[in-house]
Amino acid sequence: MNKKLELVILGIMGFILVIAVSIQIKTVNYNGTTVNSNQAESDLKSQVLRMKEKYENQYAELEKIEKELEKAREQATSNNTELTELENKIKQDNILLGNTDVKGSGITVTLTDGKGDDSVLDVENLLVHAENVLAIVNEMKNAGAEAISINGQRLVNTTAISCDGNVIVVNGEKISSPIEIKAIGLPELLSTLDRPGGTLEYFLSLGKAVDVKKYSNIDIPKYTGVTSFKYAKTVE
Amino acid sequence: MKKGKIVMTITIGIVCFLLTMIIFMQFKVVRETEETNIDTMQEAELRQELANWKSKYDETKERYDEISATLESYKEETSSDSQTKETLEAELENLELQLGKTDVEGEGVVITLSEKSEQELEEEEQIISIKAEDLVYIVNYLKDSGAEAISINDERIVNTTDIADVGDAIKINSKYLRTDTYTIKAIGNSSYLESSIFGKGGYAEQLSTTGIKTEIEKLDKVEISKYDGEFEIKYIEEAE
Repeated sequence: MNKKLELVILGIMGFILVIAVSIQIKTVNYNGTTVNSNQAESDLKSQVLRMKEKYENQYAELEKIEKELEKAREQATSNNTELTELENKIKQDNILLGNTDVKGSGITVTLTDGKGDDSVLDVENLLVHAENVLAIVNEMKNAGAEAISINGQRLVNTTAISCDGNVIVVNGEKISSPIEIKAIGLPELLSTLDRPGGTLEYFLSLGKAVDVKKYSNIDIPKYTGVTSFKYAKTVE
Repeated sequence: MKKGKIVMTITIGIVCFLLTMIIFMQFKVVRETEETNIDTMQEAELRQELANWKSKYDETKERYDEISATLESYKEETSSDSQTKETLEAELENLELQLGKTDVEGEGVVITLSEKSEQELEEEEQIISIKAEDLVYIVNYLKDSGAEAISINDERIVNTTDIADVGDAIKINSKYLRTDTYTIKAIGNSSYLESSIFGKGGYAEQLSTTGIKTEIEKLDKVEISKYDGEFEIKYIEEAE
């Protein structure tokens, strides 16, 4: 009787063992294929890092030669008022295009994903979306902002604010909450953004966190990309 | 009998030991497999990343070469004022092109937004007039797909342009548009520009549900007029 029981237990154990082994083998097979892609991936990772470094070096070179160009331009035009005028126009245009670091009076608007509680019906309302940022930027321009940056990314004429999954993309750079939007202009005018019934108040009512601060002097960095038009040509 | 029992016990012991080991290994492998699943997702992302850095590098290199050439021409000892002037004007022209200070032409699209007629409306569709917000989104989609110049009803979109609802009108720059038909022109790769708005689930589809008809024409040559306002600098100054 006792021996029979032992045999049954042994049988069950053997059965489990066989199943475990076969699952194991299957998983190992599957894993084997991903080991290769792991290898390819670490290759890819180092390629990405190398390319990024190559770009950064080239960009540093570009910044250096841009300064050189500015000096050479100044020197070449110093003895001629007509040329100096052209040089000033170039400087002015570069400021307007966002090619220089700028400072001035202005405000910052910080949008942060809301925390909410159990009573929140739609979590989407709490999050800061690309459209929300777009709306604020449009209002800032309406209030006369002359320079705007989002988490350090300068807004230029070709800048789009889009979303990629859960992150917001500005100038091809991924950014995420908290989103700090800086604007230079007349602070009194810019701060009408948080007027009653305005967009910021609406965001607050949805449960997002909003913070507005006025400054007598803020810095906004230049655009760190390269703009080159391939399709649009000036009509003579 | 006694001897058999001992053998049996040892066998069971060994089997149990093996079983435990195998199950632990099993757990470990399964966990690793899950990780590599996430990694294969990242692979596509990595390729994207690599392409991004590559194109940024190429652009930077190209710009560097351009500047080197300009620098040379300023530095040339023998160059006369008229040569310097030429170089300055070439630089200025490129900057004004980017700013929107010049009339431009090139490959692009012309998009027309209009309200559907009674017959065109599907069941349960109701016309909701075009708002400033719609135009802001469309401009942003076009920029996202590489538009180099954009205008709405011949009002050029520049960096400081805002689009706002003011009563029944839509204000762009300082012009008030009182219309229900909008013509949006954009210069850039016409296929990219098209897919940014007319792709599946794109903004054109969304507008259609609110009774707005969207049409697009892809052209080899779209003309966009310059911004006719003033570019002013009042509050920003160059930081050192």
